[in-house]
Amino acid sequence: MSSNPHLIIKDLHTYFHSPSRQGFVHACNGVSLDIMRGETLGIVGESGSGKSITMLSSMGLLNVGPGVVSGSCEFHSRNGAISLFPDLNSHVQLTHENGQIVQVKKDLQSWQKKTRHIMRDIWSKEIAMIFQNPRQAFNPFQTVGDQIRESIMLHTNITNKKEAKEKAYYWLEKVKIDSPKLRYENYPYGMSGGMCQRAMVAMALASQPSLLIADEPTTGLDATIQSKIVDLLFELKESLQLTLVIISHDISVISRLSDKIAVMYAGNVIEHGKADEILGESFSKRHPYTRSLLGSVPSRSNVTRTGRLPSIRGEVPDAVNTPQGCRFYDRCDAKTPAVEARCSQKNPNFSQVAAEHQCRCWLYTPEAEHA
Amino acid sequence: MKTKYLHKPLSQTNAKSRSFFKKASTRDLLYIGYGSLVVLLVLLSYLAGAFSWLPHDPDEMNLDLMMADPFVAGHLLGTDFMGRDLFSRLVLGIQAYFIPGLMAIVIALSLGTFLGVLAGYEGGKVDRAATYINNLLDSIPRMVLILLVVALFKPDVYYIMFVVGVTAAPVVALQIKNKIIYLKQKNFIESAIAIGLPKPTIIFKHILWHNCRSILIIQASLCMAEAILIETSLSYLGFGVQEPIPSWGNMVQAGANYLMQGHLWPSTAPALAILFTILGFYLLADGLNKVLEEKQ
Amino acid sequence: MSSPLLEVTELRKSFKQKASLLGGSGSSAIPAIDGISFHVNENETLGLVGESGCGKTTTGKALLKLNSVDSGKIIYDGQDITSLSEKAFRPYRSQIQMIFQDLDAALNPRIRVIDVLREAVKIHHPQLDDAQIDSRVKELMEMVNLQKGKLTSYPGELSGGEKRRVGIARVLAVQPKFIVADEPTSALDVSIQAQVVNLMLDLQQKLGLSYLFISHDLHLVEIVSHRIAVMYLGRIVELGSSEQVSKSAKHPYTQILWSSLSDGSHKEVEKSQSENWGVFDFSRPSSGCRFAPRCPVYHARGEPAICRDANQEPKLTQQGNTGHFVACHFA
Repeated sequence: MSSNPHLIIKDLHTYFHSPSRQGFVHACNGVSLDIMRGETLGIVGESGSGKSITMLSSMGLLNVGPGVVSGSCEFHSRNGAISLFPDLNSHVQLTHENGQIVQVKKDLQSWQKKTRHIMRDIWSKEIAMIFQNPRQAFNPFQTVGDQIRESIMLHTNITNKKEAKEKAYYWLEKVKIDSPKLRYENYPYGMSGGMCQRAMVAMALASQPSLLIADEPTTGLDATIQSKIVDLLFELKESLQLTLVIISHDISVISRLSDKIAVMYAGNVIEHGKADEILGESFSKRHPYTRSLLGSVPSRSNVTRTGRLPSIRGEVPDAVNTPQGCRFYDRCDAKTPAVEARCSQKNPNFSQVAAEHQCRCWLYTPEAEHA
Repeated sequence: MKTKYLHKPLSQTNAKSRSFFKKASTRDLLYIGYGSLVVLLVLLSYLAGAFSWLPHDPDEMNLDLMMADPFVAGHLLGTDFMGRDLFSRLVLGIQAYFIPGLMAIVIALSLGTFLGVLAGYEGGKVDRAATYINNLLDSIPRMVLILLVVALFKPDVYYIMFVVGVTAAPVVALQIKNKIIYLKQKNFIESAIAIGLPKPTIIFKHILWHNCRSILIIQASLCMAEAILIETSLSYLGFGVQEPIPSWGNMVQAGANYLMQGHLWPSTAPALAILFTILGFYLLADGLNKVLEEKQ
Repeated sequence: MSSPLLEVTELRKSFKQKASLLGGSGSSAIPAIDGISFHVNENETLGLVGESGCGKTTTGKALLKLNSVDSGKIIYDGQDITSLSEKAFRPYRSQIQMIFQDLDAALNPRIRVIDVLREAVKIHHPQLDDAQIDSRVKELMEMVNLQKGKLTSYPGELSGGEKRRVGIARVLAVQPKFIVADEPTSALDVSIQAQVVNLMLDLQQKLGLSYLFISHDLHLVEIVSHRIAVMYLGRIVELGSSEQVSKSAKHPYTQILWSSLSDGSHKEVEKSQSENWGVFDFSRPSSGCRFAPRCPVYHARGEPAICRDANQEPKLTQQGNTGHFVACHFA
């Protein structure tokens, strides 16, 4: 495994306005992710964690304003490092109060122009994304095959229609779709959920990106199909040597595919490290949320003696009224008297708990451990 | 630079009312405000006319003050070709369409709701029958039928408004039917049945009162606009309200003869009244539609 | 052994499919449920699993008479309720209830939580006065662990978990004995799922409820259910205790279902399952076992004729005296 950086996101802050919640949602609160070439990063989180928004806003796919307000995102392409947030500071003016952002001035139009210009060369050719709800990703009025062919012609140097069509067949076969030549002519509504998802994977990979982002690729699919999609992604990432980012709330999917895992909660990455350590029971220095989350997954091994599943009391904090200290404070059962005061006052920074494993918790800072 | 502010979040206390105003754009609020003003004025004017709280007797003819200009001898808008106070006649003109208009509304809403509920809720054969009747009503050319009624019977505003009501019902029915179909997809009608709620409760309380209220108000507003338009047009043509009873339509007609002589107000005042009143009802409907009905 | 609370025999329901504009044959009837039989005892949870389209939800809705039934019998508490009119069925509506998959299903967005619950309490207890109703409403909120402050909220202001609880409270208001839970946890976050499941288990203990627990989350069904029924294309292919079905499944389909779980605690079945091995063709009635086209055992044994013999469709048969039923020629 190489340790070449592929996509580096640092200290990302994203806001968007939610009319239903009548306020600005601080979706990403200083998110940093290091995605290395050839590695699979699994991003796990529940609703409101900001896992999808992190990738969407980095790719410039977030439609609602204001979007990214600070941070950096560097993509290391074949031709060198490109910043995906060009001159962010010159487009945004922030006003801080008590360490919190209270006012944002952002020139959306020219920012979007700039990011689109950059993404034009990168999107599909180097970074591709697949989404939940595969049928919605396709144009309902065009055959699936034609859409793949068009993507090939747009993003690779194949300009011949016939050649592109052959390539489309190749990719449909590669994603294990039966009778690819027949399926080419199918419309999206004529395909089952699982098949449509495979077709979306084909379309994403046909332009030969080096980084694939999969946002909830198995949600909404039947159990047996989910399993097959996960197997497919595993095979493809091995054979094509892809860098894979899997975003999911389903821990079993994450565990089957990831080398490294980032656990997100309420807009922060709260743990980032090797998959075995995070998922394995033996590692002691895990974030309380991670531990509780893994403990509440339905499985026979988690059931307590009284026949119940351990759950995390309370709910995810309000996305608009973000609390002051650690965002997990209200629901945390691992607080010790030594750290409790700090937990309620200040959101913890990352502490190194093992080689390549960081955890955002006051329990693991050197001072707390010696207390 | 486009500015976005992130203040400390709003309190949750008046969540419901706050959401109303947050959703509405300034333009929508303007429409609703103007429309509401018009409705209020119409209502007040109706009452004024009904109780004769008018500055002058609208039938009193002042023969030496014919075609007077505004502000002459206490006549706010002047007098018409018979010396009658224009302003009072204008106010009284509302009588011509107000109650008849309400009648049209009642007919349109009740018939429309009845057909809409049958079509949307019951489904199957009942749906087909109701939709058939609905389409039948919808295909009737309204003006032709009105003129037919006028020719066969008499130019009575109430007869006319009956036709207006019946021909306006299909639109209401369709809106209600679609709303019910939409609600059915959201499962809560099924769950209402499952919990054991009796059918009338489901239909009247849950569907109509809570979810169709806004449709009905909007349609009522539109229906009134239509009623005014039709009544004034027919009165203008001579088929509706006849002299000496004032209607904005026949006032425009009567005053038109004197335009060439430079007497603007007898014709223009009622014309403007028609314009701004109908506009008020349409804008009210539009604004309410945007705020209450548009899916976000 | 007392008689079961709910007994379903040979239930059948088809949906007519209209001819599609873009081709396809004329109107045909696809059997959503094609002859299923099961029973649920008092204070028991029967899990119902299967892929989407297998007829689980249709079954649940049929029990509540939200769908009509073409043939078969539903017997509740000894009474045949299959062909009761809506009027005659009303008293049973307080006994048999449903938790809908859609979190928003039970909740009219314009009505506050307190009014939703008040209404539900009033339906079957019209004689109570306002004070009694309100105290019952408060009881219900406590039963589902919801803060009283949420009573004045509108559904739109509630989180997923809260909506689910209000739905449960509403169902409890009519004091049922049998609840069909259709994917009660599917739209919820993992940590909230655990809360809801624990709540349902607590309620079962406290109130002596029976559940028909429909879910595609096999792990969850294992934990929650006493017995499990596996459905495939409108038929039950395996029925037994939770242990039997999850750990020693006998039907090839059940084995495949459980093998797709990732924690390795189940038998690993050869995953030679191709998504496109074949689909059962409803237009050819003489096709025998519905699972044959996808069945690894069928293919491994060289496609034996018995599996495609229309006169020998596999019937649910008990394995010895264990209470474990399988519908397969080779179990």
